[in-house]
Amino acid sequence: MTNPAAIAIPSLKPATADVDIMPTWLGVVLAVALLAAPVLLDSYYLHALITSMIFLLPAHGLNLIVGYTGMMSLAQGAFFGIGSYVSALLAMHLGTPFWVNFLAAGVVTGLIALPLGVPALRLRTYSFVMCTLGLVVIGETVAKNWISVTRGDMGLSGIPRPHLGFGVEVTTITGYYYLFLFLAVVMTALFWALVSSPAGRAMIAIRDNETQAEALGIPTWSYKLIVFALSAAFAGFGGSMFAHYLTTISPLTFQMYYSTTILIIVLGGGAGTIRGVVVGSLTFVAVSEALRIAPELRMIIYGFVLLLLVFWLPKGITPLVDKVFALARGRST
Amino acid sequence: MGELILEQIINGIIAGSVYALVAAGMTMIFGVLRAINFAHGEYYMLGTFSAWYVISKLGVSYPVSIILGIVMTMAIAAVVGRLVMQHLVTAPFQSGVLATLGLSLILQNAIVLGFGGTYKMFPGGWLSPVFIGDISIAWQRIIILIVTIAMFVALELMVARTRMGRSIRAVSQNIECCAVNGIDVERVVLATFVLGTGLAAMSGVLTGPVNVTIYGGMGEAVTMKTFAVIVMGGMGNVRGTLLAGWILGIAESFVAGFIGLQYRDAVGFVILIAMLMFRPTGLFSLQSRF
Repeated sequence: MTNPAAIAIPSLKPATADVDIMPTWLGVVLAVALLAAPVLLDSYYLHALITSMIFLLPAHGLNLIVGYTGMMSLAQGAFFGIGSYVSALLAMHLGTPFWVNFLAAGVVTGLIALPLGVPALRLRTYSFVMCTLGLVVIGETVAKNWISVTRGDMGLSGIPRPHLGFGVEVTTITGYYYLFLFLAVVMTALFWALVSSPAGRAMIAIRDNETQAEALGIPTWSYKLIVFALSAAFAGFGGSMFAHYLTTISPLTFQMYYSTTILIIVLGGGAGTIRGVVVGSLTFVAVSEALRIAPELRMIIYGFVLLLLVFWLPKGITPLVDKVFALARGRST
Repeated sequence: MGELILEQIINGIIAGSVYALVAAGMTMIFGVLRAINFAHGEYYMLGTFSAWYVISKLGVSYPVSIILGIVMTMAIAAVVGRLVMQHLVTAPFQSGVLATLGLSLILQNAIVLGFGGTYKMFPGGWLSPVFIGDISIAWQRIIILIVTIAMFVALELMVARTRMGRSIRAVSQNIECCAVNGIDVERVVLATFVLGTGLAAMSGVLTGPVNVTIYGGMGEAVTMKTFAVIVMGGMGNVRGTLLAGWILGIAESFVAGFIGLQYRDAVGFVILIAMLMFRPTGLFSLQSRF
């Protein structure tokens, strides 16, 4: 193996760069724009933004694996599906409020990932990728065949809309928008706190040189296992939002499509950075919505995007975005 | 009961031969590229579709469509190999995963876009049954078995005796040494890739009549089952693939017959994960290729 962590991973940088690089005025403009979006945009664009926020959380999770520990996983789709089922089943059978479902989806998915990670993480490179792909197929098979719980191919429909407690129920698209914006901001902040902590630096050390990290006394095995479970938890959170937004889910939630989408968001945006993943989820949704009339064409474009990323844009579009930011900052000061 | 078991075994061996033929190509490509071809099943699909196209649109007979289907697929593979696969020789493993996943999306959806996403009937083939004792088997299945065994013998001879075969083995062992010794690594990679996809296409054309219906997404399941076969056979081990394919085929056949048809497609993955956990070097060798 000549270069164990070549694609899409920038050189070691403190995570604060994610915040520093954006000019302050642009940050303020973006924040105002996001808050005012329901006033400015019609429901179609709000729907697109909501979709990008749903995919943002699993993408953060995958970023933790790809960008911060240097592995490559296709299992995000499986954990996304598990999270959506956990959240939907809780809401349907116990009528618990949305916060409980949301947290439970993440926690349960993370706990399911923990024992799966113990054997899976012994594998490297290709074997790990194939194994994570296997988790998606097994997830789909369970969702299809555990009929007493999942209702098989019929799926679960009539999933309650988010109850926030105190009799507040989210029903309008504007309501969804603010709820998911809140969740996306909080989870992104949590993610940022995690990767800029000493634990985050330890993960980056594992990515850059696992043997050396081990030699420095970092318990690499425990870190990888925790990262795997945390990334699954993030996917589970996204699944919960997905279930309560669509109000219907089926074994199709375990399609390869979701794993591929999340992979494209992370690598297309730029693994190892937070802004990359945020930009990636917005760009992906823009492309995806623009092509919604031709789903096959959309998948073909995804395919070309993957080739483009491998051969021409190994760091994703983040370097381009950074250039724009640098220009903007140059003008503002 | 005894006959039922025998029938399951025979069905399993024939289904397994199909997997083995596809997997032999994938394992050879892995040998020279050290890249898992996530698009491999798409060439199986392309083989079937090319044959379906020339039969139903150009009106050629099934035996001719076998040749045309394989040649057309290999032509597409030559372009893909030239543009993409050759550049993966020294690339890190992530590049191989992403590039071949991308190719899989492109090939699969281009077919759906071009010919529609509906199921199509595959015309042709020799489906009249032949009786062995009380068990009836379609001629087509017997042909699949014979062709598979013949192809594996031919592959063994090619890899062991010919200059190309020796080059493939050499590239599998050490790329730098090959380059130093005047072996054109890129050419060997391209040739192996085209040969490997040709095997997948052959498998696709031969199974078209048995599968009866064909559709654009049919390659995906084949890719996934092939993973189980190449890991069981030992990555890069052509001989092991045939036995591994048969084992998977028989296991699937028993699960489908005695537990439930809907669990059949998960068998490969359970085997895959179990193999990766407990015997990552494959059933037949001790040395890991990873």
